[in-house]
Amino acid sequence: MKKAFKIVTNNPLVKETLENEYHIEFVECSYEEILRKVRNYIYEGYELLTHPLSGSVKPNETPYKSIMVSEKKEKLDPRSMEIIEYAIQSCKKFQFKSDKYAPEVYEDFQVVDLKLIESAIPSAIF
Amino acid sequence: MRRLELGHINIKDIQFGPESKIEDGVLYVDEEAVKAIVLEDERIKDCKLDIARPGESVRITPVKDVIEPRVKVEGRGGIFPGVISKVDTVGEGKTYALKGMAVVTAGKIVGFQEGIIDMTGPGAEYTPFSKLNNLVVVCEPVEGIKQHDYEPAVRFAGFRVAVYLGELARELTPDKTEVFETYGVMEGAEKFPGLPRVAYVQMLQSQGLLHDTYVYGVDAKKTLSTIMTPTEIMDGAIVSGNCVSACDKNPTYVHENNGVVHDLFEEHGKTLNFVCHIITNENVYLADKQRSSDWTAKLCRLLDLDGIVLSQEGFGNPDTDLIMNCKKIEAEGVKTVIITDEYAGRDGKSQSLADADVAADAVITGGNANQVIVLPKLDKVIGTLDYVNTIAGGNEHSLREDGTIEVEIQAITGATNETGFGYLSAR
Repeated sequence: MKKAFKIVTNNPLVKETLENEYHIEFVECSYEEILRKVRNYIYEGYELLTHPLSGSVKPNETPYKSIMVSEKKEKLDPRSMEIIEYAIQSCKKFQFKSDKYAPEVYEDFQVVDLKLIESAIPSAIF
Repeated sequence: MRRLELGHINIKDIQFGPESKIEDGVLYVDEEAVKAIVLEDERIKDCKLDIARPGESVRITPVKDVIEPRVKVEGRGGIFPGVISKVDTVGEGKTYALKGMAVVTAGKIVGFQEGIIDMTGPGAEYTPFSKLNNLVVVCEPVEGIKQHDYEPAVRFAGFRVAVYLGELARELTPDKTEVFETYGVMEGAEKFPGLPRVAYVQMLQSQGLLHDTYVYGVDAKKTLSTIMTPTEIMDGAIVSGNCVSACDKNPTYVHENNGVVHDLFEEHGKTLNFVCHIITNENVYLADKQRSSDWTAKLCRLLDLDGIVLSQEGFGNPDTDLIMNCKKIEAEGVKTVIITDEYAGRDGKSQSLADADVAADAVITGGNANQVIVLPKLDKVIGTLDYVNTIAGGNEHSLREDGTIEVEIQAITGATNETGFGYLSAR
């Protein structure tokens, strides 16, 4: 069954592009903080709907991350907990360089993150 | 029985010349003709061609795709069906491949564009493409074009050039011919009654811009897990639209020359019965992962397989598909070997994958992508070094004043390939 969802993101382009159609929760924070925020949601009973490490652009390489979770709380999902914990652990394996790019590169990272989360929407909508 | 003859046309050198032709193992390229083929797409403003030979002091970066030119000489369809040739089932008849060379597409697509191919030095030992004569096509986008419009332009340009060069071999006599024979499910079971039934399950990167793969022209994220004859991939049935994760993405060349397919054919009829090639995707939406891995396991059961080899593509997210596939296929009683690579940190001490399960008890690794390497300054760069400090595995200090580059091997095209198409080995 498909579920109503919200997208937790720190990507301003996701907010700008999708907020008129979907529930976007925009937070100004780091990639890893988005993962931790989503972990808190999961422990409150929200279901993880997209993979937190979507895309092969590495954590700490791209500053942007958008993750889809269920709109409503449900029962605790152990698999969601497992996936988000692995994702948070993986952040420490990559050198932090999210603040080292020329301005136009940030736009590229935003576009790629937007396209990754957009690729999930056809699977998620009713 | 289906049969594909794969003729090898050995190319020992590439040179520019007034007419495109293959003569005595040398590929002569009419530069203007190739440029015209690239510039057929109005999204590409300009292109430059260059040649990089094994052992030359040349660095190619940033690399988008690597493609082996092929031509369909007999049988249904053409190379890259649904992409360049019309949709038709391929994998039978006769195909010629230009061996010892590749078309490499390069140039900026995004500001963190990845991929280094060194033709000499320590970096060359990490990329299988350093051993090829490479015709490099460096493309430049028209002003103001969006990344998602430009990526397919470069992708298709590479295929068009490869098909143009492949056609030059149509009337030639191959230096060597390999023959691949496959059987129907019942036919194979009767022919090889005592042999274990084995399939290859290949996971295809399918997550969105710069992370896509196409099967007969269809975006793999929109497909369900399905079955192919293992020779179809040799005619370009699967192509890469993937531009990130240089070390562990599968360039089109790797699909055409998939080592798992090749090695299973080597054992076909001797130690095992190579039943089929199963393909599945790696989507972002978790329920898609659930569905695709359910289907893969179901197909393995329906085909009464005894064992499979499972390969991955990419970092992070696909680790979950890998484990879901492995766990479910093992639960069907089908023995599973997985091929992956590792991000184990620069010291190699971190958890290697972003998922795990006890069912994954037979694992082959392509290497640790976080391993650090210093690449010497080379005399010539094809493309640009503008992105070396921003590519995955690099940092702001990567490009040093003396011209050397300190990066993780994940920056090198093909370094830790997860079909095993690389040089890292414990042997």
